[in-house]
Amino acid sequence: MASFERPSLNVNMRTWVAMGFCAACLFVLALRLWHLQIINGHVFRDRSENNRLRMVYVPPPRGLILDRNGEVLVRNRPSFNVDFVTEDSPNPEQTVRALAEITGQPADDLLEKLTRQGKRRMYEPKLLLRDVSRDLVAKIAAQRYRLPGVIVSVVPARDYIHGDLAAHAIGYIREISGEQLKNPLYAGYRMGDVIGQYGIEARYERYLQGERGSQAVIVNAAGNKIGEAYSHLALPGSDVLLTIDRRLQEVADRALTGKKGAVVAMDPNTGDILAMAAAPRFAPSIFTTEVSKETWADLVDAKGNKLTNRVTQGVYPPGSVFKIFVAAAALSEGVVTPHERFFCPGYTLFGTRKFRCHKHSGHCSVDLFEAIVQSCDVYFYTVGQRLGVDRIYQYAHDLFEFGEPTGLGIGDESSGLIPSTAWKAKYFRNPEDKKWYPGETLPVSIGQGAITTTPLQIVRGLSAVVNGGVVVKPRIVRKVVTSDGRLLEETPATPEVVRKLDLDPEILDKLKRSMVGVVEDKRGTGHRAALPEVHGISVGGKTGTAQVASRESGIKDEDHAWFAGYAPADNPKIVVAALVENGGHGGAEAAPIAQDVLAAFFGIPDPPPEEAAPRKKKPTPVVEASDD
Amino acid sequence: MTSLDKRVFAHFDWGLAFFTLLVPLFGLVVLFSAGYDAEGTVNLFGLVNVNFPSAACLKQGVYLMVGLIVMCIGIAIPTHTFYRYSFFLYGVALVLLVAVAGVGVVVNGSRRWLDLGGFNLQPSEFMKLGLIVTMARVLSKRPPRDGRSYRFSELLVPGLFIVIPMVLIARQPDLGTALSLGIVGVGQILFVGVRRKTLLAIVIAVLALAYPAWEMLHDYQQRRILVLLDPESDPKGSGYHITQSKIAVGSGELFGKGYRQGTQTQLEFLPEHTTDFVFSVLAEEWGFVGCLFLLGLFFGLFVSMLRIASRTRDLFSCLLAFGFTVQIFAHVVINIGMVIGLMPVVGIPLPLISYGGSSMLSILFGLGIVQGVSMRRLQYRPS
Repeated sequence: MASFERPSLNVNMRTWVAMGFCAACLFVLALRLWHLQIINGHVFRDRSENNRLRMVYVPPPRGLILDRNGEVLVRNRPSFNVDFVTEDSPNPEQTVRALAEITGQPADDLLEKLTRQGKRRMYEPKLLLRDVSRDLVAKIAAQRYRLPGVIVSVVPARDYIHGDLAAHAIGYIREISGEQLKNPLYAGYRMGDVIGQYGIEARYERYLQGERGSQAVIVNAAGNKIGEAYSHLALPGSDVLLTIDRRLQEVADRALTGKKGAVVAMDPNTGDILAMAAAPRFAPSIFTTEVSKETWADLVDAKGNKLTNRVTQGVYPPGSVFKIFVAAAALSEGVVTPHERFFCPGYTLFGTRKFRCHKHSGHCSVDLFEAIVQSCDVYFYTVGQRLGVDRIYQYAHDLFEFGEPTGLGIGDESSGLIPSTAWKAKYFRNPEDKKWYPGETLPVSIGQGAITTTPLQIVRGLSAVVNGGVVVKPRIVRKVVTSDGRLLEETPATPEVVRKLDLDPEILDKLKRSMVGVVEDKRGTGHRAALPEVHGISVGGKTGTAQVASRESGIKDEDHAWFAGYAPADNPKIVVAALVENGGHGGAEAAPIAQDVLAAFFGIPDPPPEEAAPRKKKPTPVVEASDD
Repeated sequence: MTSLDKRVFAHFDWGLAFFTLLVPLFGLVVLFSAGYDAEGTVNLFGLVNVNFPSAACLKQGVYLMVGLIVMCIGIAIPTHTFYRYSFFLYGVALVLLVAVAGVGVVVNGSRRWLDLGGFNLQPSEFMKLGLIVTMARVLSKRPPRDGRSYRFSELLVPGLFIVIPMVLIARQPDLGTALSLGIVGVGQILFVGVRRKTLLAIVIAVLALAYPAWEMLHDYQQRRILVLLDPESDPKGSGYHITQSKIAVGSGELFGKGYRQGTQTQLEFLPEHTTDFVFSVLAEEWGFVGCLFLLGLFFGLFVSMLRIASRTRDLFSCLLAFGFTVQIFAHVVINIGMVIGLMPVVGIPLPLISYGGSSMLSILFGLGIVQGVSMRRLQYRPS
């Protein structure tokens, strides 16, 4: 095609022109550079030396944590940090030693902190002391001349209004660790950032944190601020509203004072956790300053780790509380009818072995109702044998979800264990041990032996019995709201259903009536959970006294005391489980705790101690306050 | 079919390849310093975390490798394919530009990006390629009737091809890209030739249109041009960039403050010092000597490209090579001119140096096409 010939176009000449033009342009650029860098270079060099920018990061106020009614549980308060700008000190080490002298801190500790942040740029403030007192701030200010480069910054710190209230649920915040910094989950965080490390603080870190602001301050060579270049405002974190009720939580926390154990209350219809208390507790505020070795030792004491959330992480044999679920299995499977009677002589013989009832004199003739009310072990030994361990497993694990974490989402949850022939075959190595012996079924029928659960699982299981057979997933957060009032997340009014149980409503009714009997019948083991009669709220529940086997030591520890109950009996609004480690009898130790929580829930004032009116029509003998 | 046979490799332009590699490698060295953050861990595209003190440098390294693959694709595509699909490319780019005006993503107040589920596409980047190819086709298909230079009537159609995308891009608003697009198109026309009278008429017409065009500019664009004339008048606003950048460049003096010793950049006086203002990092830390070195490298690159253009046997290939030369050249001059206060701050990256994936890929693709033109210069005969 002719158009592609280019006879008349002198391309060579044109490219030469282009090259010339190109060279000319670059020459102009070079000329300008010459002017800037060579002719006026020293002027700009001077200006650049007096031109220093200090990036100051402004930590965002963390989101609040509130209870279900919007009452603030955790807020922020101004706190003072002592930072150090290495660049501004002629002799950093000397300055730090002077600071150490003033604060009474070992100088080596401070220097070590400085080296740890050594990668940070010279002009960037490095954190030396967190949350210091006003007195110390005043001392530092007074000795400024000795402390070049030391600056005091005001940053928000956590203010735990109610002290250690719901410590395990709320959790704590602490400086991000080196390991966490390397984790992609924490991309965007910087050394020295404070993040949620436990509980809600950790789980909702993403919402609570907010966005860091920054301020570029222009300082002269002496380090004095001469202007501001640009700045980004910090964005406060979002607020998290819990399902926890502050009043109820306080009662639960108080009830465990001086004890080891757990109390958890849940709305059986929604799965809302109303209170979650574990003892011993820690005070989240200890993490705002440096945690000393002594404090750590106290926290993770081998005798009772204060950081353990016993509601979700503590595993205990459920004891007689488990009988409710064995009864549900037995009735559903038709191995027993509600009216069938058994004779309890105080023990049962299995081969040559004698399995005792907790009442050594025996309960005489008992039907299902009486067996639950009086917590007759012999009745359940028999029923358990008729069921066999695998059917117990099927109901407890496959239906009521025992032995499975609830998915509450705060911290690592323990799963507990429901034994079965399959479990034993898998768990043990020795062929002898792999076999399930029928005799092992007996303790399992009364919630003893290898079986363990967490208090939260008990509450979930019992809720399913009393709410008409729905296993709900417990939840602890109601909603998340941004600082400017935008709703980010809200749990619906309907619960998250794990499973709808296909159980006969009549069977559930029978169990509920029996549990009311436990509290209200004159022979009942759990009458100390009853609310004063005048209020007309009847309570149902089941006691448990779990033996603590300690084979190694041979010493028999005190039993774990359990009570799991609900109210009002006809239309349950709350399910509560109380556990006292090595507390003794469930009816005597755990039931009163549950009663406190229920009374608080229904707004029933504590009766004055001296007027402690008899709760029952007839005072019951103390002996009967025991079970197992 | 045999577009890459043995003879083709005989015309591989080693000079072009040399500068194509050297410039971005030097860029990586500069970026290492510009993006330095001792504490930084780099999250590579959401896949892995790497401990590396300069995110910009590491990512740019990855972009460079991908870019080299893209360049090989540019080399492998036969030149006549570009000829054949030039209008198609232009059309697609135009549709995308219209689409971006409607449903584009707004970033920093301008609507430049199309969100294609996961990655963002900048249609103006496409248009750069589309325009170069289309202009090469239009001009080579219709050379000046007198065989020497265009008259006014012959320029109407090519002019329209330039103006339509320019207007669309200027309205995003992305003045810098619109401007560079215009320069490329006009450059290609001028390369072929325009009658002196016609040229004069056009220049006068453009000057006459300048006032209404000025009125059409956004406030911030007007301000940027005004600030160029007197940057000190607004040291914290629009003038901040230019003032700080000039301090950075000037304080470099003859030999610079030393690698990673630039206080202006290391102290974060300069926002965007890894992208549009990367040249000031170089100037501050390497001084006049370093600047001349980079200018020299670019000059070498341009000379290689122009030499390829001059050795072609057909006008299409020639204009293709020349078009890409003008594109890179315009970017270099505008960017450096902006950094040293000779031109308004228009937000154009420094080719092959500034941090950024799309610019790197599109420039390397263009360089691949030019290399392809060189390799096929004896073989190519459009049908």
